[in-house]
Amino acid sequence: MTSPYETLGVSRDATQKDIQSAYRKLAKKLHPDLNPGDKGAEDRFKSVSAAYALLGDEDKRGKYDRGEIDETGAETPPRHYYRDYAQSGDTGGRYESAHGFSDFAEGDDIFSSFFSRRAGGQQRQRGRDAHFSMEIGFLDAANGTKTQINLPGGGPALDLTIPPGTRDGQTLRLRGKGEAGFNGAPAGDALIDIRVRPHPLFSADGDDVRYEVPISLSEAVLGGKIRVPTIDGAVNVTIPPHSNTGKTLRLKGKGLHKTGGGHGDAYVSLKIVLPQAPDPALSAFVEGWAAGKAEDPRKGMGG
Amino acid sequence: MNDREFCEHLDIEVKVLRIWVEQRWLMPQEAEAGWLFEDADLARARLIQDLTGPMGVNDDGVDVAMRLLDQVHSLRGRLSVLMNAIRSQEPAVQRLILSSTEED
Repeated sequence: MTSPYETLGVSRDATQKDIQSAYRKLAKKLHPDLNPGDKGAEDRFKSVSAAYALLGDEDKRGKYDRGEIDETGAETPPRHYYRDYAQSGDTGGRYESAHGFSDFAEGDDIFSSFFSRRAGGQQRQRGRDAHFSMEIGFLDAANGTKTQINLPGGGPALDLTIPPGTRDGQTLRLRGKGEAGFNGAPAGDALIDIRVRPHPLFSADGDDVRYEVPISLSEAVLGGKIRVPTIDGAVNVTIPPHSNTGKTLRLKGKGLHKTGGGHGDAYVSLKIVLPQAPDPALSAFVEGWAAGKAEDPRKGMGG
Repeated sequence: MNDREFCEHLDIEVKVLRIWVEQRWLMPQEAEAGWLFEDADLARARLIQDLTGPMGVNDDGVDVAMRLLDQVHSLRGRLSVLMNAIRSQEPAVQRLILSSTEED
């Protein structure tokens, strides 16, 4: 009997990672469902899987290496692969794809109808999906909203729910709102490509939101509580004394909804702004502020 | 089987199943009581588990793989109908068809 190490083509001192990647490579090549017509693939996949079941588990591998168990391990029950059902037509045509070879059906000879299943008239065929695109505002995408969409080609307007955290380029699906099915098969879906309009303040960075918030000179020097906008309303934020332009505050959980639950963060970059109109008192203070004149913030920049 | 039994067989959460159906990787029959799955769907779901688990394929990869696989099976189905049709012809006709496939 071949040792599981030989089956996977790795050495006895291979790391768990080597073993996993060797298995991945072989599984992708040998999985019976990826080799629908190759009868031998099932046996080869089985022995590779059995070898991986042993060596992929550090515990069992140790036992095998110490000779406590042999390479057979526990026998797994026989498995029915998807290809067996697809081959015997046990899927009722649900997963069949007729569009994949519609090019064969283009000719007008007698055989062209062989590949176009419509000609047969018997088979059920799901309607095609219809593609649309739609533009929505940044905050509607971030917080979610309900809207209506008029599909080209008439029909009543459809209600469309934009889930919170919808991203630019995401596709929303309205089930059954595509083209009608054939012979009683379900209709296709309407697929709506979402474009998110840029926002003047907020910009998305993955799950996070980044933006700049102005602060006054006294807030910068003395610190304190300020109101900061976020994508779902303003919040109070305390900024420490001596906060310079470019200082970034992280507001945890104030970013976009993540797909798997939870939220990204907001990164707020502070920017000091002087009073709108020149203030004589401020000018007089800075005039008499010796240290301010001695400092060179461009030191080391050359020139 | 219903969606609960289906999930138990596969040891997955209903939430995961919903995503698979949403992606149309699985197309159960829709009955009044909810989704109905067959053994073929179960085998198909195990393939999805193999792809996403040990083979390390991501969701987009599964999407591509399932679409191509469905095309392969549809083609194989039509091809086997064609093969049977040819095999039911007179040997002379079969030879004629075979010889015309051998021309380049």
